[in-house]
Amino acid sequence: MTEPHLRRPIAGLDPAEDRLLAMIAALASEVTILRERLDTVERLAEAAGVLSRAEIEAFAPLPEAGAERDALRRRAIEKIFRPLRDASRTMKA
Amino acid sequence: MPSSHPMMPEASHDEAAEQLFVRDFKTWLSGEVEADLASLADALDPGPGSNQRDEEVYEALHGSDVFRSWASLRRTSQELLWDAIERSVNRQAADLDAAAQAAPPVGSVTLDPDMACPAYLGDADVHLMPGGYMRDTPGVAQGAIMDRGGAVYMLGRNGGLMNDMRGHSVVAHLFARFPDARPLRILELGCGVGTSLCAVASHFPDAEIGGLDVGASMLRYAHARAAHMGHAVHFIQADAEATKLPSDSYDLVFSAALFHETSEAAIARIVAESLRLLRPGGIAIHLEVPQRYEEMDRWNRVRGRIEHDFNNEPAWKEAISADYVAALTMAGFADVAAGYQDSTAAPTRDGGGFSATSKGVFRSWFVASGRKPG
Repeated sequence: MTEPHLRRPIAGLDPAEDRLLAMIAALASEVTILRERLDTVERLAEAAGVLSRAEIEAFAPLPEAGAERDALRRRAIEKIFRPLRDASRTMKA
Repeated sequence: MPSSHPMMPEASHDEAAEQLFVRDFKTWLSGEVEADLASLADALDPGPGSNQRDEEVYEALHGSDVFRSWASLRRTSQELLWDAIERSVNRQAADLDAAAQAAPPVGSVTLDPDMACPAYLGDADVHLMPGGYMRDTPGVAQGAIMDRGGAVYMLGRNGGLMNDMRGHSVVAHLFARFPDARPLRILELGCGVGTSLCAVASHFPDAEIGGLDVGASMLRYAHARAAHMGHAVHFIQADAEATKLPSDSYDLVFSAALFHETSEAAIARIVAESLRLLRPGGIAIHLEVPQRYEEMDRWNRVRGRIEHDFNNEPAWKEAISADYVAALTMAGFADVAAGYQDSTAAPTRDGGGFSATSKGVFRSWFVASGRKPG
């Protein structure tokens, strides 16, 4: 994501608090999107007789799939906590 | 090489994802932000004119909102870790207790309900683990929390779920310095759930193995864990500073990353106690984290203070600053040496790997060792 050219400060808002709220909002977004999509997949799959939800609970990924899932998780962490890294990159002593 | 053991708490689909999140979140927080904080620490350094450089930098860092955010999230990551692990273990507590009951009847646990909590453990829960090492949950739950939490905390860099490379590295150090050693009685001070002790035991199948620590639940779990792995280990609830065990009775006494969880005074007393417990000619090995205070940059020195204040490491700075050659020599040890042992999962008698140079965190361990005269 590119920073907007003008991002006016909100008077009285502590930057740390600002970042915290940004992270929580991004996290909430990530979680609800994921949960809803997952719910759709599970319901469609079960209705179609493709799998049962018990199979999902018992699933263990093979190494290649595990590595792909690692990449997905790390991308999510990047996304959610980016505000802290951006601030650390541009901070002045 | 086993990748896990029968007592390890399992993780459901969602619990596994939750624990992997903590691992990757911790990696991100150190990988993406700490280099910038290190630069900031250098910029805030008052220079050699100050006799309190670390303290001044630490205080000045708190003026940075980036530092405050990072410190807050780092502590959050640790709290998320214990929250995830504790809920997972509590969900399966009955199964874990049943698994402990079903362990082969080898080894033992000797508890001392009157044991006083060492002050450095009573002050704060080490690593923010709720209840601390001494928490006596019914059954084995606290031990299971510590085992699973420790393995996740080490980020897979210390032998995965076995979390046992420190134990193998203790044996590598024994072989590097005393290639003919064949210890028949072995004791670990501060054995925790026995991650290192079982690794040591695996190299000496004929030896009598003892482990000592402070927590009843932790020791019950350690006993079941060891027995399931085929090791007959005798676990004792006692204070490593004054074990009440007989003098002159062990061939090898060791500790593995114990000192930084104690205090400056306790370190000296544990070194002295290890000497007392050894038979003449017996060997003590004390392994610690591979960082040394005098070699650290400003940020890592301050980092020690952060670990102390926000992750409840009681004696990080004391343990990495101590002069162990002097401490062991003053206690009465002969053939004293200190340095770095290569981290390994497969020690051999001709493997060497002991040198004056650290290869870095998780690749080397600091070790100090000596022989009891006589």
